[in-house]
Amino acid sequence: MIPEEFGRVAALTAFALAFPALPLAASYLFYVLKIRPSNPDPIKSATYECGVEAEGSAWGRFNARYYLFALGFVIFDVEVIFLYPWAVVHQDLPLWALAKAALFIGILAFGLAYAWRRRALEWR
Amino acid sequence: MSSDVKSRPATPMLREILEQPTLLGGIRSTPLPVRLGLAVFALGFLVVNVAIGVLVVSGRLDGHWYDFRDLGNATAALRSWLDDRDLGPWLSYWVTALIGGVGILSFVGGVLLIGTWVERRLLAKFQIRRGPNRVGPFGLLQPLADALKLIQKEVLIPIGADRKLFFLPPILIFIPAMLGWGPVPWAPNMAYLDVNVGLLYVVAISSLAVLAIFIAGWSSNNHYALLGAMRTVAMMVSYEIPVSLSLLSVVLFTGSLQLSEIVAWQSTHNTWLAMILPFSLFTFFFSSTAEINRTPNDIAEAESEIVAGFHTEYSGMKAGLFLAVELGNALLVGALVSTFFLGGYSLFGLEEWIPPYLILFAKISAVYFLFVWLRGTLPRFRLDQLMGYAWKFLIPLSIAFVGISAVEASIFARVDAPGLIVLGAIGIVNVVLTFVLVRAWARVVGYEVPRGEDTRPTLTTAVGGLRAAQRLRVTP
Repeated sequence: MIPEEFGRVAALTAFALAFPALPLAASYLFYVLKIRPSNPDPIKSATYECGVEAEGSAWGRFNARYYLFALGFVIFDVEVIFLYPWAVVHQDLPLWALAKAALFIGILAFGLAYAWRRRALEWR
Repeated sequence: MSSDVKSRPATPMLREILEQPTLLGGIRSTPLPVRLGLAVFALGFLVVNVAIGVLVVSGRLDGHWYDFRDLGNATAALRSWLDDRDLGPWLSYWVTALIGGVGILSFVGGVLLIGTWVERRLLAKFQIRRGPNRVGPFGLLQPLADALKLIQKEVLIPIGADRKLFFLPPILIFIPAMLGWGPVPWAPNMAYLDVNVGLLYVVAISSLAVLAIFIAGWSSNNHYALLGAMRTVAMMVSYEIPVSLSLLSVVLFTGSLQLSEIVAWQSTHNTWLAMILPFSLFTFFFSSTAEINRTPNDIAEAESEIVAGFHTEYSGMKAGLFLAVELGNALLVGALVSTFFLGGYSLFGLEEWIPPYLILFAKISAVYFLFVWLRGTLPRFRLDQLMGYAWKFLIPLSIAFVGISAVEASIFARVDAPGLIVLGAIGIVNVVLTFVLVRAWARVVGYEVPRGEDTRPTLTTAVGGLRAAQRLRVTP
C-alpha cells in the first residue's frame, strides 16, 4: 500500500511543471501569432563568450579537483543521513547509546581529519 | 571634507531606509470622498475585528469549517462531506490535493511578483537610488511589465548546444522550488504534505536543484556556462553537509522528523530553537545562501568572471524563469528557517488570535528582508574561500555541535526540572560555547580578521552615508 502522501507529491510535481510551462507556452503562442520575433542567424546564435570566438567545444576534460569534492560529499552526506534515525530516538535511548553514537561521529570526524591531512580539502 | 561630515555614522540607519515620507503627505492630499471611504473602511475593519475577537474568546470558532485561523479545517470538512456522498475515496483525496496544490501555486506565483518588486525597491534604498517607480503606483506593476517583456523577447539557442537538454532546465529547476513548500506547516492542520519524514524530504528535495543547474551548464556548450555549473555543483554539494548536520541538532532536541511536530515542540516549550541552537541557525542560514546561489555566495553567477554562470546562454522567458526561481528559493529558505528555528506558525500563544499563516508569512518576510539586506551589503566570496569555509570551518564545528547537542538533549530528557529552565540554561551554555568555539577554531585554522586602520570602511565614513546623500539631494 502506497502511503497517501505520494499522490500529493505527484500532484505537486505536476503543478511545479505547469508553473514554468505556462509562460513558456505563452511565449510560444506569441511566436505563432508573430508577436515575438524569431530570426536566427549564425552570428546571433553563436556561443556567447564575451564577444571572443569560442575556442573549441566546452564538452571536454575538466579539472579533477571537482571530482574530489564530489567524492567527499557522497561519503559524508551518506554518513550524516545514517545519523538521523539515531537522532529521532535519541532521547528514549539509555545513556550508553550516546557512547556508540560518539564512536560513529568520531569515525566521521576521523574521516574529515584524514581527508584534510591528505590535502584533499585544498582548492588547488 | 569638513570634520562634521566625518563624524556622522557610517552605516545608513534602518529607520531611514524604511521611511516613506510620501505616505503621510499622500493621505493628507487625498480628496474628501476618498478619505471618508477610508474612514468607513477602518471603522468596518474595527467592528469585524471585535466580532472575531468575541467569537474566538467564546470558543465558537474552534474546529468548524469557517475557522479562518486554520484553512485546513475547511478542506477537512469538504473532504468528509465528499466522503459522505459515497463517490469513491479517490475523489475527495484528489480534490483536496488539487486545492492544496492550487493554493501553493498561487501563493508562490503571487509572492514571486511582489517579491521582485520588494527586492528591487529595497536594493534601491540600500544603494541610495529610487528603484522602479514608473509602472503603476509605486512601480508595483513593474514585475508584470518585466514578465510581458521577457515573454515577447526572441529566444536564442546557440548552434553548438544540445537542443533537447537545453530545453529542460528552466522547467526542471522549478520542481525543487515547489516541492519544498509541501511539508511546511502553515497552521496546525494546514500542511499540504505532512509526512513523518518531512525534514529528510526537505533535505533530499533541496539537493535536486543541482541536476537542473548542471544540465543547463552542460547543454549550453559554453565554457562560461560549464564553469559556472561546475562551481555551483561543487559549492552546493559541499554546503549540503553543513545543512544536514545543523538540522541533526534540531532533530536531537525535537525527536521528530515531522515539520509540524518540530513546530509543536517549540510551541509547547515556549521557545525558539534559534535560542537553543544559535550555531545551527547560522550554519543553516549561511549554507542555504550557498545552496540557492544568493549573495554573498553567488559565485555561480559572478558577472565579473563568468558572465551569468550556468544560464549565460538562456534568453527571453527562460532567463526570466531562472531569475524567478532564485527568488522563490529565497522565500522557501525563509519558510524553512522560520519553521525549524523561529517557531514556525506559533508565536508564544498569539497564534490563537492572529491566523497562524500570517505569523509564518511575517517570519518569512523577515528572513527574506535579511537576504535582500545581505545582497545589498556584502561582496561575494572567492570560490576557494567558500569551499574552505564549508569543509574546514562549518563541517568540523557542526560535528562538534552535534556531539554537544546530543549530550544536552540527553540531559534535557533526564533532568526532572521545568523545561523552560533547563532549556534556558542549555541556551546560555550554547551561546557561550558558540562564541568560544568559533573564535578558537578560527584561530586554529587561521581565518582571523586582520585588524588595523586599513580595514575600516573609509569611503562611507568620509562621504557620510545616506544622511549626507539626502542632504545633498537637489529638490526641484
